Amino acid sequence: MKDYIVEFSRKVHKSLEDLPFKEIIKALNMLEAVYERDGRIYVFGNGGSLALATHWVSDFNKTVFSHHLHEHSRRFQAIRLPTTEEELTAWANDVGFNKVFAGPLENYLQDSDIVIAISSSGTSENVIEAVKLAKKNKIPVIGLSGFDGGKLNRLADAKIIVQTPKDEYEVVESVHGVILHLMTKYFKDYFNHLWSLNQRKKRKKLSF
Amino acid sequence: MIVVRAPLRISFVGGGTDLPDFYQRYQGRVISTAIDKYVYVVINRTPLIPYISARYKISETVDLPQKLQHTRIKAALIDLKIYKGIEIASFASLPAKTGLGSSSSFSVALLKGLFAFLGKKLHTQEVAELACRLEIKLVGEPIGKQDQYAASFGGINIFEFNSDDSVNIKPLFIDYKIRLEFENHLLVFFTGVTRSAGVVLKEQKENIEKKFKTLKEMSDSVYEFADLLEQGQFKNMGKMLHQGWLRKKSLASKISSGFIDDLYQAGVQNGAWGGKILGAGGGGCILFLSPLNKKDDIRKAVKKVAKKYKLTEFKEIPIHFVQSGGEILFNADRNFF
Repeated sequence: MKDYIVEFSRKVHKSLEDLPFKEIIKALNMLEAVYERDGRIYVFGNGGSLALATHWVSDFNKTVFSHHLHEHSRRFQAIRLPTTEEELTAWANDVGFNKVFAGPLENYLQDSDIVIAISSSGTSENVIEAVKLAKKNKIPVIGLSGFDGGKLNRLADAKIIVQTPKDEYEVVESVHGVILHLMTKYFKDYFNHLWSLNQRKKRKKLSF
Repeated sequence: MIVVRAPLRISFVGGGTDLPDFYQRYQGRVISTAIDKYVYVVINRTPLIPYISARYKISETVDLPQKLQHTRIKAALIDLKIYKGIEIASFASLPAKTGLGSSSSFSVALLKGLFAFLGKKLHTQEVAELACRLEIKLVGEPIGKQDQYAASFGGINIFEFNSDDSVNIKPLFIDYKIRLEFENHLLVFFTGVTRSAGVVLKEQKENIEKKFKTLKEMSDSVYEFADLLEQGQFKNMGKMLHQGWLRKKSLASKISSGFIDDLYQAGVQNGAWGGKILGAGGGGCILFLSPLNKKDDIRKAVKKVAKKYKLTEFKEIPIHFVQSGGEILFNADRNFF
C-alpha cells in the first residue's frame, strides 16, 4: 500500500518539476494586464475541472486581497461559466452540450476580458468551442491541459500543459489545482506587498 | 462609442537600432517597458452628421479626411476608406513629445479603435505592424519601430528587428518583487522641453554608416541588460545605462544639449549609477537609476539645474510598469439594428 502512495506521489512530483514555467509567468502577466484594464476573467471546464474553476473563482475574487479587501478600489472579476445550473441545463437541453460554455461566454464577452479554459485531455468539445469563440474575438486564452495537451494547448496563448501519459486525470487535476493556487498566491503576495509599501509611505508622511 | 488606450513606454537600451538602415544590416534590439501613463482614443459614430471630426489639442471638422491637419488620423482614415460620420478624440496622461513614445501609442490606440469601428478585431502583432505602416510608410515619419510594438504588447520586452522587417517579441520574465524594486530605483524627470523625434532621428539616420559599430554594440548589450534585470542587479544596470548614454550622445549632435548635459551630470555627481535621455533626445525626459538613499539628493540637484536653465515645466514623473498594451476598454458600437 505504501508503494502505491509513493508511486502516485512520484507521478505528481514529476509533473510539478516539469511545469512549463514560462507559460505560467505569461499567464500571470496576462492576468495582471486584465486587472489593469478592469476586464473580467471567465473560467470553465467539465466535471472536476469545473470544480477547480469554481474553487479558484472564490479564492481569486476575495482571498487574493487578504484582509485589506476594503482598501482596494479595484478588484479582480473572475466568473465561472456557466454561472448557474439553470443556464447549464438550458444550453445543454435547448442547443446542445457543446454550447454550455460558448453560449454563456458569448453573452458576457467584452474586448477587455480574458479566458481560462481547463481540460485535462485538451480535447473537450464544449471547452474548445468556447476557446474558439474567444480566439475569434482576439481575447487572450490561458489553457490548462494535461496528457499531450490536445487542441486546447495548441489554441491557447498561455500553454500550461501538465504532460502525463493519457488518462492520468487524477495527476493532471491535482497539478491544475496547484497551478491555480499558485496564481492566487502570487497576486495575494503581490497585493500584500503593495499594501505594506503603502503603509510605510503613510507612516513616512505622518512623521513629517 | 469605442474607448481604446495604449501605454507610453520607457526604453532602456538599444534605441536607434530599430531604424531600417541599421536592422537591414544587423539585427536591431531594444529593451523597453510599458508604463502606467496612457494615450486614450475615443471614437464615436455619427451616421447623421456627414463630417469628420478630430478633437485633440485643437478641434477639426471637415467634409473630407484629406482636409485634416492631423497627419495620423488623416492617413488612417484615407487608408481605411472612412470618409464621413465619425468623431475621433484623444486624451493623454502626459503632454506629447516627452520622449515616452506617445505618438506611436496614439497610432496603436487609433488603429485598434478604427478597426473595431469597422467591426474587425486585431491581434496585438497586427496592431503593431499596422501602426508601423501608418507612421513610417503612410505618414512618412523617419522613426523606428520600437514604440509601436511596446505600445501594442505592453509589459517588459526585448524586441528584435530583423532584416526582412519581421519583429520577434521576447517578454522578460521577472516577478513583482524585482519589478517593484526596479521601479523604486528609477527617477524620471520631464525636462519641459519638447521636441519632435523626427528632427533628431533624421540626423541620426544620416550618421548610421559612421556609427554602425556603436549601434551594433548597443544592440548586443540588450541581452546583458535583460540578464542583469532578471537578477536584480540594478547597480550594474545603471552602469550600463551610463555607457549607453555616452554611446548615444556620440550619435547625433542634437541628442544632448547644454541643459541636458548639466542635468545628467547633476544626477551622476549626486549618486546616480547612470541614466539616459528618454526618446530620441534633444529634450523630453531624463531617467536615472540610483541607490535608494541618493534619490532625494538627485531630486534636489536636478531641480537646481532646471531652475538655472529656467525650465519652468520641469517635474518628476512617478512611474510604474504595466503589463497592459493596446486595448479596447469599452465598445458600445455594436448594435447594428
